[in-house]
Amino acid sequence: MNVCSIEWVVCLLAFSALFFLIPGVRLKQMLLFAGSASFVASFVPNMVGWIALAVFVGIGYLTARLLRRFPRKIILVLYLVIVLSAFVVLKQYAFAKALLPAALFQRVIATVGWSYILFRQIHVAVDAYEGQIETLSFWNYLNYQLNVFGFVAGPIQHYQDFCRCWMDLTPILNEAESILRAYLRIFIGVVKIALVGQLCLELFNSCSDLLNDAVQAGHETQGLRILQFLAMFYCYPLYIYFNFSGYCDMVIAGASLFGLKMPENFDRPYLSRNMIDYWTRFHRTLGFWIRDYIFTPMYKGVAARWPAKAASLAFLCYLVAFTLAGIWHGHGWNFVIFGLLNGLGAAAAKLWERRLIKRVGRQGLRSYLQDPRIRAVAIVGTVNFACFTIFFFPSDLNRSFHIVRNVFAGPL
Amino acid sequence: MQTSREEVQQVFRDVFGEDQIVLTDDMTADDIPGWDSLGHLNLIIAIEKRFGIKFATAEISRLKDDDQNVGTLLALIARKRG
Repeated sequence: MNVCSIEWVVCLLAFSALFFLIPGVRLKQMLLFAGSASFVASFVPNMVGWIALAVFVGIGYLTARLLRRFPRKIILVLYLVIVLSAFVVLKQYAFAKALLPAALFQRVIATVGWSYILFRQIHVAVDAYEGQIETLSFWNYLNYQLNVFGFVAGPIQHYQDFCRCWMDLTPILNEAESILRAYLRIFIGVVKIALVGQLCLELFNSCSDLLNDAVQAGHETQGLRILQFLAMFYCYPLYIYFNFSGYCDMVIAGASLFGLKMPENFDRPYLSRNMIDYWTRFHRTLGFWIRDYIFTPMYKGVAARWPAKAASLAFLCYLVAFTLAGIWHGHGWNFVIFGLLNGLGAAAAKLWERRLIKRVGRQGLRSYLQDPRIRAVAIVGTVNFACFTIFFFPSDLNRSFHIVRNVFAGPL
Repeated sequence: MQTSREEVQQVFRDVFGEDQIVLTDDMTADDIPGWDSLGHLNLIIAIEKRFGIKFATAEISRLKDDDQNVGTLLALIARKRG
């Protein structure tokens, strides 16, 4: 089921209107579970899919329980190796297919929502190992993983934050105005996805198809082809922004009608001044997850082992962390390029800052950051670089390079 | 075990290379140049080393939240040192 569908919106509004009339927390939880399970069922095509999902979620829960009882590093590391290997095979990543026997990739299992289950599992496992999970029950864990308001594409919520609301399920919108605001946000989400985002996608598709056809592209002047290329270059990032932020508007506002507080996922990303800033504004819960569960342990490990070289090796950590995050987005080689560009962008931002500190000191850096003209240049540069990284997102590499060739190598 | 503000203050001065830092409870990352994500990690690593304690990933992350400040960091250090 699509979040931006009549069925979803009607179910959301109808159930939320009746939800707080239901007596007791348990009954409310059961209704939410039924809603989540029905939603998840629309993505699981057969019994094999259900078994795979049950094993994937179940192993995460059992490992977290084990780690709470026996917080041993070896258990955590073993679990991470197994779950990540299984994930890479099930998602059929291109680099894994190039390295591993083909027999491993013969059975295709529907894995919608699994990436987010994986993020939540790793968070719970690490937090359980570090003694940060006070209570852990299968019922709460199951609902945390299958939560209809975060199953498909996040936002990535912390287990502790989910449980805080889930255990109470009391209204968090206490005034008529805040409820109306939530309805308005759902409506804005629908407009972003179904209207603005869809328009951007249509424009992107028509320009992309046209430029991909060498004969058609050859009939146009290079000036027109460049204009079409620019439309394509900016429309896909706009489509992603409107589609994804619209989805987040709908699920965050929808969850609030049921007493669940989901974390915000966007903060004006196209006003970012560098690629590190960008990842704290665009899909910010993923950006924070990368920071907490990839960058932090990697940098702490590096700093403990080579303290004198930590500052220089930090750039490598940025590169690796953001490259991995990019690769996670999809299974083709285009996502490896997308990840590498993001990693390079983040590392370059930190290198530039370090160079400035060396030249003008920290106070000088502060003045530099406050200069509105520099800020404007940084924002324009970041927007364009972010769009460039996303250029590799929608199509395989052959098509992307073919389009670039048709735009620039055709007749003038 | 008591943690003196001066000891933590010295760690801040060493990490951020600024001898003028004087810590108050309501100070946040915005008040100290260099206290960004990487500066935060360097600070945590230095505090862990100085006081022989260890922060959990979730604690390190939470210390960056909007409602956190030097006061909450000092309280966390004191709690960890028992």
